[in-house]
Amino acid sequence: MSTDDPRYGGEVRCRMAALPGVGGFGAGPDVVVGSAGSREQGAEVVLCCRIAAGRVTEARFRAFGCPHFLAAASWLTDRLVGAGRDDLAGWDWREAATALEVPAAKFGRLLTLQDAVRDVAGNWPGSPASTV
Amino acid sequence: MKDLIYLDNAATTAVDPRVVAAMLECLGPSGDYANPSSVGHLPGRRARARVEQARGDVAALVGADPAQVIFTSGATEADNLAILGAARFYRERGRHLVTSRTEHPAVLDACRQLEREGFEVTYLKPGSDGIVEPAQVEAALRSDTLLVSLMHVNNEIGVVQDVGAVGRLCRARGVLFHVDAAQGAGKLPLDVNRDCIDLLALTAHKVHGPKGVGALCVRREPRLGLVPLLHGGGQERGLRSGTLATHQVVGLGTALRIAAAEMQADAARVGALRERLWQGLAAVPGALLNGHPTRRVPGILSVAFDGVEGESLLYALPALAISSGSACATTSGEPSYVLRALGRSDRLAQSTLRLSLGRFNTEIEVDRAIGAITAAVARLRAVAPEPGG
Repeated sequence: MSTDDPRYGGEVRCRMAALPGVGGFGAGPDVVVGSAGSREQGAEVVLCCRIAAGRVTEARFRAFGCPHFLAAASWLTDRLVGAGRDDLAGWDWREAATALEVPAAKFGRLLTLQDAVRDVAGNWPGSPASTV
Repeated sequence: MKDLIYLDNAATTAVDPRVVAAMLECLGPSGDYANPSSVGHLPGRRARARVEQARGDVAALVGADPAQVIFTSGATEADNLAILGAARFYRERGRHLVTSRTEHPAVLDACRQLEREGFEVTYLKPGSDGIVEPAQVEAALRSDTLLVSLMHVNNEIGVVQDVGAVGRLCRARGVLFHVDAAQGAGKLPLDVNRDCIDLLALTAHKVHGPKGVGALCVRREPRLGLVPLLHGGGQERGLRSGTLATHQVVGLGTALRIAAAEMQADAARVGALRERLWQGLAAVPGALLNGHPTRRVPGILSVAFDGVEGESLLYALPALAISSGSACATTSGEPSYVLRALGRSDRLAQSTLRLSLGRFNTEIEVDRAIGAITAAVARLRAVAPEPGG
């Protein structure tokens, strides 16, 4: 994929060229998954994180949505490496909006991404939500 | 641009080199550039002769008399002049209009303006195939119905309405009938007398003519009244003031003359390309054709790819100049109102591509487009979560 469409910033174009981080991990005790959104809403994402010693060591995504959303999910797989549960629980979508020059009309889709990150935090082993 | 494949001919077309040559004869110091209203001198009369030749070409395409043709800036102006002009002229006769939900904004917004002026408008819902049945129109007619407006060919999905049947029933009921023929004129046969069309709007740039010029054919017998939108020098029988752009008018006439002469051959060739394109895309899992399968203009194909997000699909196809719907509407980001009117879900509407072919497209381009779209759909589906997962 490549484009010179000015609606998309450099990071989006770079990410969309290969969508690094796409995929997932097989289920296991060191794998935590979070998801949010739906195709009806126009944005859906599943985040899959491998964790060790209380930190994310690798992350993967699968997503349905516009180029900004796909690129943000890809960017997130790098951003989350090294993060702990509390980092994920407090992660704010504005960081992705700035990094990927996302237009205001699409901020709502980044909230879907934030929901998925917080879902990972909620499913983190030992967190209150994961034991419910 | 070299490797780019242009499949957006429903938005606009490349100007045919024969049209360019004719237009150039009306520009420059040695050309027929004079004001066609300045018939007191030879250059003016030469320009006037060019304009009248073009008027005859427009009329011949739709079975009209040249005196019926009013040149405009395009179909949008022609639609507005027809709808607003007729409604305002005959407002004491009736205050009700009938149209469909899938009309072009040039018609829908003119109707909304009339609603603000006290008219009532019935917006017919087409079937899931995009067709408005004549019986629906008949059922909507009232004693105070003044005008029915129905497009010949839908700009997003390419379905063809039976304007002849609707025209005949309107004529029998004494109701004016306006047809937006922007997408159909020059591609399919039209005859304002046979089809009982009182007002017919067309444009040059959808048939390899220039942008910025169109025409409105106005019934003469009996003479139909219109309130003009523009006031000034009284050109075009007082219905459209403003100096005629001779080169634009000549471009329109030449484009339509070529279209008339080559209509059968173009329709066969472009229709075959569209069918080749659809057969290739139909093999993509989840591909759905929007609109009636056979009542279609040769060049327009609208396909939904279930499970694929439309903007990302467009992004993944940089070598294709295509549309995710009507070019007039794609800046909004909203799902197409035409596809919604057909009952398509927002999800399917947002996964729709409009591919529109023209005179200059080739089989090689169609095959490359099929390959590119097939690969892009597969890649985006591979990135997406499992449905329901």
